[in-house]
Formats: sequence, structure tokens, C-alpha cells
Amino acid sequence: MILDTDGMKPIYIQIAEWIESEIMNGGLNVDEKVYSQYKLADIYNINPATAAKGLTKLAEEGILYDKRGIGKFVAEGARQMIIEKRKNQTLKQLIDDVVTEAGYLQMSENEIIELIRNSWKGGSE
Amino acid sequence: MKAVQCKEVTKKYGRRTALHGVSFSMEENKIIGLAGRNGAGKTTLLKILTGLLKESDGEAEVYGNRPFNNLLVSANSIYIDDQMNFPTSLTLKEILEEGRRFYHNWDHTLAMNLFDYFGFHPKGHHNELSKGKESTFNMIIGLASRSALTIFDEPTTGMDAAVRKDFYRALLKDYLAYPRTILLSTHHLEEVEDLLEEIIVLQKGNLLLHTSMEDMKSYAVAVSGRNESMPEWMKHKVFLYEEKQGPYEKTIILENDLTTVEKEELKRNGVQLSAVSASDAFVYMTGEANGKGGLDDVFSGHINSGSGQKTSQL
Repeated sequence: MILDTDGMKPIYIQIAEWIESEIMNGGLNVDEKVYSQYKLADIYNINPATAAKGLTKLAEEGILYDKRGIGKFVAEGARQMIIEKRKNQTLKQLIDDVVTEAGYLQMSENEIIELIRNSWKGGSE
Repeated sequence: MKAVQCKEVTKKYGRRTALHGVSFSMEENKIIGLAGRNGAGKTTLLKILTGLLKESDGEAEVYGNRPFNNLLVSANSIYIDDQMNFPTSLTLKEILEEGRRFYHNWDHTLAMNLFDYFGFHPKGHHNELSKGKESTFNMIIGLASRSALTIFDEPTTGMDAAVRKDFYRALLKDYLAYPRTILLSTHHLEEVEDLLEEIIVLQKGNLLLHTSMEDMKSYAVAVSGRNESMPEWMKHKVFLYEEKQGPYEKTIILENDLTTVEKEELKRNGVQLSAVSASDAFVYMTGEANGKGGLDDVFSGHINSGSGQKTSQL
């Protein structure tokens, strides 16, 4: 809700997230080779250095591993790492934002929990 | 090795100084953008790098060689602009043949494929082409030459939107296949910003900025809200631009160094923060508006004669 999400997400992050979702939905499996920076640059019409930055980010997080001279591959347990990361970062950030907003609106803790509960039921129907 | 190295490069035309001691260096095999308002010195700099002009002072080096009067640099670099002259007796196809003779990396298949794709007639002549077609033809020469240092100075002049898009795509694809140092000056920064790795900004003959495109995109932030909801500390920020929106609200463009705490406070005050694209940031940082107020002030008749580059009053 603050700045960062306001359409100003850097392209390399978007590339990294795209690869993450490919891993999540089974498009890329463990030990499978990920697109090279050049292929990604070609697909998305971007500078290869930008694509490389996205790949490097995932390698640093341990989601991908490097085979020197061959490319980057999906690491063992990548899915679990992505789930954990999203729980701890993305989801937590969203909840922080909700709580902050609730604070401005002077809502109580119970009211918020009630809202989440309703939404949860609505979603699972 | 550095593809390009400039040390205090100065160029004078008579009494007028077009470049004031510009220093920077470029790694090889990157696509780099050169931006600047009209008359900022872009063309002068590019022509020095390709040996078409000699610097008045300082040193320019391309792959370790001074470019002026240097055959090695001439054979390994190409400068494409919209004022290229070719012998009028040659047909377009013959011009491409000559390109093949001169440039040792020349890819004639690429040249001919692009030639056909863009619908040129082999027996056509360069001086009979429309503005956009001429730029397209010159672009083909620039790409096909595969020069280690390829320089495009306003390559898209007169091209329609579809051809510009094709050109950027062709440039990227050929660069991916054959990495080389490409320097591109353009007034359409928003169209090329994703292609570029770095950007160099000139202003009035000085180097204003040389940074990664990523940093350029987060260089500035737009803050808009009611006058009274702008916190006191805002006046210590570097303002790039300020615009009133009606009597009670305004938008301020400032350098993006806001802390999380400051962002939180602005948000609490109901002030909106939004991203400033690289091309908008460029306009703000090089605007005539800097220190003078905007164009609107010209018409309302009061221009502050401040000459500073950046204002910082609230």
C-alpha cells in the first residue's frame, strides 16, 4: 500500500516472481534448467542484465542453483522455500498493512479478525 | 578493457563550449542510453567517440585508442545519425555491398533480410527516401555492421511507432546474439528504458548523471496532497519540481531518499506517493523548470531568476 507496490516494482523482481510462480504451479521442476538471462531478455524484451539480476536474486535465496557454464537449475525444496518466503514476507507485509489501515479506521482487533474470518469462509465456499 | 573512457573531454566551437570536461567510462558489451535536452552536447560527444570530431581538450579513448584520425577505431565503430550522406550514384543495395566491403564483421544476410522486411527497393536511392525510411535504412547499416562500438544518434527520427518498435526489437535480438557496446541517444527514453543497462545524462555540456537504469527508475518520487499536510521536514528535501493543483493541493517531485518512517508519516497525513518513471525523472532533472518555475510561470509573467539547478523551498 505504501509506494513499493504502486506499480514501481522493479522488472528484475517481476522476473524473479514469474520464475517462482512457474516453480509453484509445476511448470518448472527440481533439477530442471531455468531460462537463461538471454532467453528471458528475448521473451520479455528487456536488457539481459536485468534478467540476470532476477536469476541471481533467486540463486542467492537458494531457490535456484548454479552449474557453472551451463546455467541455473531449480534447487531441491525450492517450492517449500518459496512458500515460506511468501508467508514470512509477502503475506506478513499485507497483514501489517491491514492492521495499520485498521488502526487509522479505529477498528478493534476483533473486528479485523471477524473480517478475515468472513473472507476465509467466502473464499472456501 | 573499457570500451570507452573519457577524461575531462572538452569541446569548443569558437567561443561556445559544447562539452565542459566530461569524464566517464563504459564497460564493453552493454547497451547504454545517452539522454539530454536539445543542445546538451550529445551529438558532439558521440562524434568525438567515433573520431568524427576532435576534442579540444582532455582525452577520449575507445578500446584504448584515441578515436580521431584512427583507422583502427574507424574500422571497429560506426556512427549512425539522420544526416548520413551516401553517394547518390549508388543504389540502396550497392550501398549495403559497400558496407560489406568496409566492415569486417558485417552480416550481409541480416542486412538483406531487414532490407526486405522493411520493404526497400534494391534499385532505390538514398536521397529519394522519406525521412522515416531513411532512418530505417541507416539503422540497417548500423545493425549489420556489427561494430564493436555501435553508436546510434537519434536513430528513430521520422520512424512511425510500428517501425520504432521493430527497430528496438531488432536491436535487442541482434545484441543478444552478438553482444557489443551500443550507445543510443534518444528523445524517446520511455520507449527504450527496458533495453538499456545504464544511462548517461548530459546537461548543458556537463555530465549530470551516469547510473544503472534500475537506479534511474527509483531516482525520484512524486508526493501529492494538500498544502497543509506536507510535513515540516519536507523543506529539507531536494525538490526537482513543484506544481500547484488548484489553490489547496500540490505535487512535489523529489529525490527518492524518503525513509520508511517519513513515508509512513506522509501516508498518515493523506499524502499520496507515486512512482516517477525514468523518462519523467529525466525531464524533471534536466528541465528548464529547474530553479525557475515551470512553463506556466513564463505565461503568468513572473519568473524567479534563480540560477541554481534545484530549488528547495516549500
